[in-house]
Formats: sequence, C-alpha cells, structure tokens
Amino acid sequence: MNNESDHLSDKFIVANVLNGKIQDFALIVKGTEKLVTQIVKKMVFDEDDQKDLLQDIYLKAYQNLASFQFKSKLSTWVGNIAYNTTINHLQKKKIPIYDLETASGNASKETENPEVEAIQTEAVDILTVEIANLPPLYQTLITLYHLEELTNKEIAQITNLPEGTIKSYLFRARQILKEKINQHYKRNDEK
Amino acid sequence: MKNSSHLSDEALQSYLLKEIQDDSLIVEHLEACSKCQKRLEEYQVVIKNVQKIEPEGFTFDVSALVMNTVTVYEKRKSRRQEFAFWGVLILLVLGISFFSLPFLPAVFKLFFSGSGLITLLAIGVGLGVFLFLLTDIIRQNQVKEGKIFKNNLQPMS
Ligand SMILES: [Zn+2]
Repeated sequence: MNNESDHLSDKFIVANVLNGKIQDFALIVKGTEKLVTQIVKKMVFDEDDQKDLLQDIYLKAYQNLASFQFKSKLSTWVGNIAYNTTINHLQKKKIPIYDLETASGNASKETENPEVEAIQTEAVDILTVEIANLPPLYQTLITLYHLEELTNKEIAQITNLPEGTIKSYLFRARQILKEKINQHYKRNDEK
Repeated sequence: MKNSSHLSDEALQSYLLKEIQDDSLIVEHLEACSKCQKRLEEYQVVIKNVQKIEPEGFTFDVSALVMNTVTVYEKRKSRRQEFAFWGVLILLVLGISFFSLPFLPAVFKLFFSGSGLITLLAIGVGLGVFLFLLTDIIRQNQVKEGKIFKNNLQPMS
C-alpha cells in the first residue's frame, strides 16, 4: 500500500514521543498491537506470562525508541523486539521452539479425541486446530505469512532468520497441514 | 511430453504462491498429470483456508496495559531525576558552605562595623535572589510535568 506515507507518519510519531509526548506512544502500540499479539499468542499460552511479555516488549520499545533507525517499518522493528523477547522467555523455560517430534506427538493426541473430531468438518476449523499443534515457531511463521500477509523479507527482519530458512519452515508446515487434512478426510470417508 | 517424475511439493507450493516467474513447465505437467493436479488441489485447500482463519486477539486491553506500564515507568524516571537534582543542589550548598567557613569571621566583622541599613539591604537582596530562583525552579518543574502527564493517560488506579 502507501509505504511512503506510513514511513512519514512513523517518523512524526517517533519524534513526538521522543520530545516527551508520551501519549503518542499509544499510536505506536495501536499500530503494532495486532502483529505483536500474534507473535506472543502463538508462542506463549499462560495469560500472566503473556501480560508480562507484552509489558516487557513495549517498555523495551519505549526505552530504545531513540535508537530506531527507520531502516525498516516501525511495526517490523517492534515485531523483532516482540519475537526476541518471546523466544528468550521460551528458552528460559526450556520450551522447544521448532521441535517437530514433540509437536506431532501432541497433534495425534488431539485428533484421537472423537468429540473434537466430530465437530471439525470445515477445513478452516481443522486447520485452526492443526496449526495450534505445530511447534511455536512454525505457528508464528504461518501466521505472519498467511494471516498477517507479511513478506519473507519482513519475517526475516522480525525473526533474524535467513529467508531460505523461513521458506523451508513454511514449506514443511504447509506439508504437514496438507497431510493432516488428508488424514482427517480419509478417516471420515471410512466411517 | 516426458512424464518421468512428478512435481515436487516445493514446486506445487511455489506455483500456488506465485513465487515462480516462469511456470510454463509446471502448467504443462499439471495439464497432463491428474495425480499432481490432485495434490495441487489439496494444497489449494490448505492455503485458501489458512488465509480464512481470523487472527484471535487477547481478551484484555493491550493498549491500556502497556500505556499504564510506560506511564508508571516515565513517572518513576522523572522522580529519580528530581531526586538527583535536589541531591546535587544540597551537596553544592554544603560544599560552598564548608569552603567559605574560614571567611565567615571576616564577613561578620564587615557587617557589624557597618550600619544596620547595609545589613538589612544585604539580607534583603540575598532573600530576593533566593526566592526568585526557587519560584523559577518550581515553575519549570510544573511545565515539565504538565507536558508529560496533562493531556491524558493518567495511570489507571
Ligand atoms: Zn505428476
């Protein structure tokens, strides 16, 4: 869309906040909230932890605002802070970030539940559940790419991962989702 | 047309996401191969439906939570700066007093030798300067606080 005007208003808002108009920081929060929410929510599930992380992320953004160089979109920069803070949190708690083994274990547990299965007939619903069963990083990447519609380059800036790595994770994730959908429909056909 | 190998999953995904500039070979294969056509349709279902998922938000108000944190942080910071300012000021006054101690007897002698009027004048001027500086400091502080907190976003109680 109009990146140029986005960029200009980013500059304007940042300058205002740095000049002491603290209430303008609310505009930065409003503009980045959706993205940050997706990153935090896809990787951390405890509400208290989520709240701590959100406060941590935005306080860091506020304290380091003067160091923002406008080399990326402001939302990408805040997204990067959100991603790093969340990953640090997971590492501290020793939660695996891209371990597909444990995740597929969870997935089969979930789909063995006949009640859950009976309700999910729409592909969207099946996918919602199956995405939630992916490892945190895969969930985040799928969400950023397909739901937030970010480019590989923007996702690379947020996650500090090479674009090739992001592409191959996304590929694996879609492959898994396709298999899960096939399994689901096959099982339903047999009934 | 040779049909020695089927399309890879990578190729199918890239084709669907329009990441391949020249996809004529893929199109050609898909037209001839129903098996790959079916696999393509399966990926189509995945990608189309993933995009349909509504991103979920939090049940709590993120803006309010975050702005409260930032406002509290900013208030604490300005309080710290205030403490530092007064600390430096007090140290300065104490330092000056300490170093001027040896000169006090001479100054007193000056006052007592002169008339009462001069003494009053000296005290008056000193007091005037002091009051002027004090009001100026207070006024500046109010302007600064007003700038930060007046407009809105008082922390929630
Ligand atoms: Zn084929």
